[in-house]
This record gives sequence, C-alpha cells and structure tokens, in this order.
Amino acid sequence: MQGRKIFLMFLACMALTACGGDRKEEEKTSIRIGISLYRGEDTFINNIRGELEEKAKEYERRNGIKVILDIQDAKGSQNTQNDQVERFISLGCDVVCINPVDRMDASLMIDRAMTAGVPVVFFNRQPVEEDMNRWDQLYYIGVDAKETAMLQGKIVVDLYGRDPGALDLNGDGVVSYVLLEGESSHQDSLIRTEWSIQTLKDGGVPIEKITGGIANWERSQASALMEQWLLAYPDTIELVVSNNDDMALGAIDALEREGIDDINVIGIDGTIPGMEALENGRLLGTVSANKEVYAGAIMELAASRALDEPLPDEYPLEDGTYYWVLQQILNGEAKKD
Amino acid sequence: MIGRRGKLLILLYVVFLAVLFLMCSTDLIIREPERDVYQIAVIIEDSRDDNYVNFRKGMDQAAMEFQADVHFITLYEKMDADQQMELILREQQDGADALIIVPADEDRVVSALAQGQVFVPAVLLGTGLSGQGVAGTIAPDYKEMGELLAQEIAAHEGRDCQVLIFEDPGKHSAMSRLFLEGAKDAFDSMGCRWKSVFFMENGRGAEDMFQDLAGERRERTAILAQNPEILTETAAILSEIPGFEGSLYGRGSTLGILNYLDRGRIGGICVTDQFGAGYLSVETAVRALEEGGSQGREELDVWYIDKEDLRRPEYEKLLYPVE
Repeated sequence: MQGRKIFLMFLACMALTACGGDRKEEEKTSIRIGISLYRGEDTFINNIRGELEEKAKEYERRNGIKVILDIQDAKGSQNTQNDQVERFISLGCDVVCINPVDRMDASLMIDRAMTAGVPVVFFNRQPVEEDMNRWDQLYYIGVDAKETAMLQGKIVVDLYGRDPGALDLNGDGVVSYVLLEGESSHQDSLIRTEWSIQTLKDGGVPIEKITGGIANWERSQASALMEQWLLAYPDTIELVVSNNDDMALGAIDALEREGIDDINVIGIDGTIPGMEALENGRLLGTVSANKEVYAGAIMELAASRALDEPLPDEYPLEDGTYYWVLQQILNGEAKKD
Repeated sequence: MIGRRGKLLILLYVVFLAVLFLMCSTDLIIREPERDVYQIAVIIEDSRDDNYVNFRKGMDQAAMEFQADVHFITLYEKMDADQQMELILREQQDGADALIIVPADEDRVVSALAQGQVFVPAVLLGTGLSGQGVAGTIAPDYKEMGELLAQEIAAHEGRDCQVLIFEDPGKHSAMSRLFLEGAKDAFDSMGCRWKSVFFMENGRGAEDMFQDLAGERRERTAILAQNPEILTETAAILSEIPGFEGSLYGRGSTLGILNYLDRGRIGGICVTDQFGAGYLSVETAVRALEEGGSQGREELDVWYIDKEDLRRPEYEKLLYPVE
C-alpha cells in the first residue's frame, strides 16, 4: 500500500514536469534547415549549394512557407562539422542536411540528431550502412558511383570505337593513360576508379596505365601531379582519366602550361567550369548528375521531414532511405577527332 | 524485512530524487541565466550571394562572437525593391531583433524607416544615406572608388585611350550609380574620352562589338565594368576573342574576378574590405540593440589592386580572408 503511494507521488511529480514543458503544436509557417558542407571550395558542392538556395526560394514561393537556410562550411574538419550540427540543433533547426567530412565518422552527428529528434539528410558522401541503419529519420541523396564510372568509361569506349587514332596518338595499338583519384576515404573515389577502368577493358579499349595519384578532388593538386608526370613520361601519356572535373581541369592547366594540346582528358560532375571546358574543347567529356534534381531532392525531402509531411512522390526512396540522382554523359570534342 | 524507519528513508530518498529531477529539468525552481541571442536578418539587393562570399565570412565571425543568430536573405529577383520591402516587414514580424539591409531602392528604405514602418534597428550597407530610424551605415565612398579607378586607368592606358563604360541597362544600385558618377567625373576632369555601352544579359551584343573593335584596330581601348557581374562576364568573353587589344577594369573581389586578374585578363580592380563590412554590420546591429540610438557612419577604405598586388600579404589577407 505504502509502495503504491510512493509510486503515485513520483508519477505526480513527473506529470508536473511534463506540464511545465507543454507546448502547443501549431501549424508551421516557416522551416529552418541547417546545411553543413564538407568543403565549400569544392566546385561541385558549391554548385549544389547555389542550386539549394534557388530551390529554397522556389519552395517558399510555391508553398508560402518561409524557408531559412543556414549554410555552413566545415572546411574539411569533422570537429568543425560536429560543432555546426550541434549549433544547428540548438538554434532550433527542423532538419539538418549534412555533406559529411568523414563518411566513416558520422555517428556523433547522428547521436546528437537522434537525441534532439531532428531528421538528417546526408548527401554526396554516403555514411556507412551501419550508421544509416541506426534510425528511420536518416536519409541519403547521391549518385550511384558505379553508374557514374561506367558512363565515364563509355565516353572513351565510344570515341575509340569511332576513331581509335583520336586516343592512340602514337599508333602503337595501346592507349596509355594516367589516373587522377579523389580522396582515398571517399567511397566514390574507389568505385569510380575501379569501374571506369573496368568499362574501358570490357569495351575493348587496349589500355595501359602509366601512373596515377591521389589529388584529393583538387585542381591545384592535380595540376602539380600532371606537371610531374609530363616531365617523367614525356610523349607517352595519351589519356587522362580523372575522378572529377576539378582534377581534370588541373590536368588541363598543366597541359596548357606545357603547350600540349592533343591529350584527351575526361572528368566527372559536370561542374560549371567543367562545362565551360567542355564547350571550348578542352575536356573530352564528363558525367553529370542533374544538379537541379539533386538540390530539389534535398530540399523537398528536408522540407517534408521538417513539416512531418509524407515524403514527396517525385523522389522515391530506395529502402525508405536512399535517393539516387540520375546521370548523363556530356560529350565534348576529341582533341584529335 | 524493511522496518518502518527503512521505509521512511526510502520515501525521503524518492522525494529527494524527485526534487532533484525537478530542479534539473525545469526552470521553475532554478532559473538558468538567460543569454540573449539576437535574431538578425540580413537582406541584400541581389538574388545571388556571389558578391558576398567574404562579407558572409565576416558576418559569421561576428555572429559567433556577439551571440547573434544571423539569417542571410537574397531576393527572388535582383533589385526588386517591392520584394525587399515585403521581406523587411516579414522578418520584423517574424521576430528579427535587428535588420541589416543593402537597399535595392535606398530612398524607399530610408523613407520606410523614417515613417516608423520598421521599428527594429536597421543598419544600411552600401549607402551613405542616413536619417531617422537608421541605426548605422557602413559603406566605402563609391564615388571616390570610381574616381580612383578612372585615375588608375588614365595612368596605365594613357589619357588618349578610349574608355568604354559597360553599364547595366537595368536599374542601378546606389553603389553602382555613385561609382559610375565618380568615374565619369574623373574622366571628364582629366580630359579622357569615354562612352557608355549597355551590356546586355549574358554579354549579348558585346561579342559583336569586341569583334568590330578587334577588326578595326584604330585605337587603344580600355573597358570599365560597372559592377562585378559585368566585369566577370566581360573577362570571360574577352578571353575567347582573339585580336582584341584592350584592358579591362572594374570593381569587386569575387574568386572569379581574382582568378581573371591573376591570369592577366583583368588589368586592375578597386576593392574594399568585404570581410570587415560583414563583421562591422553585425557588430553595429548588436551595439544598436544594446545601446540604442544611431551608431553613425562607418566609411570603409578603398584600394586599387593589380596582378602584382595579389601576392602581397596585406592584400592576400583582405582578398582571401580566413575565419
């Protein structure tokens, strides 16, 4: 009897506490989205950021709901990104969108979001499956890296089929290539490299790798590597395969400095500078995800989570978690077509 | 078997835990000291933030230091004064403690402030106008900037050089208007010949004109771009046109402009401290909130920079600020 009373007293205390924190649910007229970018200087990410701002305005106009975007640059630091996510949550963001610095180290950010009940939309850099399975309010938007790589390989396969001489510059029956890779910790880097080269082999292009190196997605690093390779392997390189457009442009910078204009370069991403290089014949081809669709998917998914509305039909999620943005090949002119 | 005394102790312990719980989880008993986080809305005149990259870095830095929650808002359409007024009123209604505004129409904004339509402190950027309700203004002297650039063009290209001034055919911001006024006055006073040319969107018309100029090769020509967008687009067009001999000048310090300057496609630019402007604007807004009244006018310095200056440490810090 006495025990029951004590239990009832305790329940009463808890009820009092709950009453103190009571908040009336109101229909939301504005949503706040925190966005943390792994590195704002990355051209592709910067393009996505621009599209996101446009999509937020479009959403605002279409739905009459004010959208506040808090966009922060983590500058390649996971600690900074953790702090940013913490700040977004304390500022009352309804949802956070994260382009993780270290895809293997998303657990702390997920912990914070789960504790606060704030849904998370990851994009571009996919956290490990173990993390993604921890909560049903975690989402990922990105491209299928294998598809990207196969499309990139197809650019070369098609050209070789049309005009082998455009690639086999010295006519020895082998296309000698160098490879520029992104960060070793990024899942896309490994997959792009593997499947791009596999597609060339499967497509019947006789290839030989001269050398390769990690340029961390950066134009300047790629440019420096290419400069070294041009010195080390003069008149040997016939093709540059790059994991992204920025590094492809770095290689082109080095080629232009040396006055070389017959080596073909292929990239990935379809960034604005990449498209310019494509138009003026400096880049053979690139693979582009539709950035408008990419940003649209992030915005619509984030807004639906913020308002606790059903997920948008036009962006069907695989396993209720993943959305893959479609990609296409963008061809330029071959250097010696 | 627990005795009566034991049960009493358990009861006291449970009550103690409940009180502790109440003290920790609500502010009914122990109030945490409240820290004011100021809500500040920054509303610019543009639909994109390309010209505000360094400004935003300074703004974010100040937001952290002064505990401000800053929202940066762009317009749906560039220079849409109606929409800007709607946003000003919306942000005020939504609880902004202060506003930082780059006016699309400065007279309209100043008049709204004077009429008391805006009752939170408002800091104006890029304009020298002040008046009732203006909590502070932060801007370089754009007229002086125009004069400085005109003098540098005359010094580098010679006074007999023909100067084409590429202007936006749309509505000019106060910054652009004053900048052009300063440049034209200076050209006139130095006896330099100048001609206004309307620069159509995406460079339409400009390419043909460059081709004509390249074909004629009559005289040396310099180009002065009215704003950073025109400067960037012109640099891109010029890099594709062979045979055109002329130098390009303008204002602004976006990464694109600095890259063109570094590659020699732009001859020189006038810049101001964008990071400082962003920082000062938030600081001024917070000061206005805490101290009240007008914080007066903060005039930013203006510099002329060419390719050689890019690597000088003092300019590196100015053009590529690190938070």
